[in-house]
Amino acid sequence: MVNWLQRIINRLFRNFFKKKGHVKLGLYGPPNGGKTTLANRICKDWLGEEMGSVSNIAHETREIQIKEEIHIKSDGKELSFNLVDTPGIATKIDYEDFINAGMKETKAKKRAKEATKGVIDAIKWLDEMEVVIVVLDSTKNPYSQVNITMIGNLEARNIPVLVVANKVDLKKSNVKKLEAAFPQYEIVAISAKYGDNIDEFYKSLFKLAG
Amino acid sequence: MPHQCVRCNTIYDDTAKEILKGCNCGGKLFFYIKKKRLEELKETTTKLTKKDKKQIEEDVLELVGKEKIDQDQPVILDFESIRILKPGQYELDLVHLFKKQPLVYKLEEGKYVIDLPVTFGQEKERIE
Repeated sequence: MVNWLQRIINRLFRNFFKKKGHVKLGLYGPPNGGKTTLANRICKDWLGEEMGSVSNIAHETREIQIKEEIHIKSDGKELSFNLVDTPGIATKIDYEDFINAGMKETKAKKRAKEATKGVIDAIKWLDEMEVVIVVLDSTKNPYSQVNITMIGNLEARNIPVLVVANKVDLKKSNVKKLEAAFPQYEIVAISAKYGDNIDEFYKSLFKLAG
Repeated sequence: MPHQCVRCNTIYDDTAKEILKGCNCGGKLFFYIKKKRLEELKETTTKLTKKDKKQIEEDVLELVGKEKIDQDQPVILDFESIRILKPGQYELDLVHLFKKQPLVYKLEEGKYVIDLPVTFGQEKERIE
């Protein structure tokens, strides 16, 4: 009963802020899915500046990054939001992976520790989010523990979700598999790096949060 | 199910007064053990060197924030959210983390640290 009431209150609260145009929009997903690349794309398109650094080595973003007051326009409508880029969510973080990617041991261990803290912070911040964009690498198997746990949890919290199938510019990309894994969601296939289909992404974002 | 003192590893039964008053060694942090799980963990943790264990302890205290741990209060832990296999290797239980259960960091066999503010935050939520 309390949960039910809480949910209604949360939804009213969320709608209230939505109308005011101050949506808190979170980018979530496993490491190296392209969250920061997408955040940079959004910031470059609408603010003319980048948000954070990207790397081929996983867990480049280890702290929550926020860009406030982004205004986007599509079909004569305007949407304002605060963009929150989060560290990649993982079930296992091993410094040896970073060493294999060419990092020195001390640095790799530090990265592992910071990445672990990043996962905890990202999950803690979920309470603050009004809309979530889940960024998934479309070249990878979508049926992972991280994806299932994360998306299931967002559903349980009644947070509106847009699933992005990123990296469609790569040969191995398989959007169909991703669509089959999460049939209850609208999936937008993009390349955050090259901007492929990004207009479609903005349109979907409007539909969800506008 | 028995409880084990984090400091000296002594095992007490459920009804033991030491769990409420504190262990004879002065330790007040206990963890709840499942025998099956303990056997599994023994294997991985016996391989750790003293230096590794010290490093793990420092890492965890840094992750939680040293000032957050009140060592005067007995704390009983019965699950793990984060396991540290050795320095720099972490396993995270996402189901626990997403469910907003208290954060427990496993240092080594018999040694855990709990993120108290998260736990108390939950209590507050429940009362409200």
